[in-house]
Amino acid sequence: MTSRGTPSRFLQSVLQNGVGRYVCQLKRISIVFSRKAQSSLGVREFIEEGVVDYAKKNPATVVYVSPQSCRIPKIVAEYLNGNVREEIITSKTAPQISDLLTKLTDQSGLDVIRIRKPFHTDNPSIQGQWHPFTNRPPSIGPIRPQKQQEAE
Amino acid sequence: MVFLTLSCWIRSRGPDRYWKVQEVLKHARHFRGRKNRCYSLAVRAVRRAFVYATKARRLKKRNMRTLWISRIAAATREHGMKYPALMHNLTKTSVQLNRRVICDLAVTEPRSFLSLAKLARARQQEGFRAALGDGKEPAGVFSRVVVLQ
Repeated sequence: MTSRGTPSRFLQSVLQNGVGRYVCQLKRISIVFSRKAQSSLGVREFIEEGVVDYAKKNPATVVYVSPQSCRIPKIVAEYLNGNVREEIITSKTAPQISDLLTKLTDQSGLDVIRIRKPFHTDNPSIQGQWHPFTNRPPSIGPIRPQKQQEAE
Repeated sequence: MVFLTLSCWIRSRGPDRYWKVQEVLKHARHFRGRKNRCYSLAVRAVRRAFVYATKARRLKKRNMRTLWISRIAAATREHGMKYPALMHNLTKTSVQLNRRVICDLAVTEPRSFLSLAKLARARQQEGFRAALGDGKEPAGVFSRVVVLQ
C-alpha cells in the first residue's frame, strides 16, 4: 500500500454542494435480500419498520426493495456522479442497517481513497503569492509621462 | 475392462494460483523493468516497497519539518533576521504559531509574515535593552506576558 501504488485524490465537494443549497448526493438505493434465508433476518426487520421512514425522510433518494433468492443480502447505493457502492449486510441487525444507510446518505459519491490533504482552498493567497520580487525595492522610480520638450 | 486408476492419478494443484499472483502483481504494476511482470522478481520488489513505505511514514514528518524550517529561514533572511532569532522571539511574545503555519504565511501572505518578523525584531531589541540597560527603564510593550484567564 504505497502512496504511489494506490490512488489518491484531493479533498473536494461535488460542485460546491452546501455553499448554497444542499443536494443529497445519493440517487438510488436498492436493497437486495431474500425472503427466507437466515442472513436476511435483519434486513427483513428493517424493511418491516424502518424503510418507509427512511424514504420519507430522504425524498431525494429513490428506494428499491427487491426480494430475490440470493445468498448474501446487499445494499447497492448509486450516487449522482455515477459511482456505485455495494455494501454487504449479512447478519446485521436493523439498527445497524439504518446506521449504514445514514452513512451512505451523508456520503458524497466521491471515491473512498486516500485524501492527500485534509483541507482545500480555491484562493490560498490573499496578499499575493510570494515571488522573488515581492520584498525587493524597485530599481527605477515610478514611471511618469515625460515633460513635453519646448522645441515641440 | 475400464481403466479407473488413470483418473485417480490426476490431482488439482491448487486452483487459485492466478489470483494469488495477481494480488502481488497489482502492487507492482507501476515499477520499472521485469519487476512489473515476473512474479519472483515482483515479490521481492513489492516487499521492499512496503518496507520503504512503512519507514517513510516517520521520515516524512522529519522531512516536512526541515522543509518548513528552511523556507522560514529564507523568508526571514529577506527581512534581515535569522531563523533562530525569529522563532525564539515569537515564542517569547507568546505567538503560538507552529512552523507549518508560519511557512504557509511566508509563502501566501508575505505582508503578514513581514509583520511577524517586525514583531520578533522589536521583542529582540527590548531583550537587548533589558540585558544591557540594567533595569532602570521599564520593560517594553512586547515583553509584557499576557495571562489569559
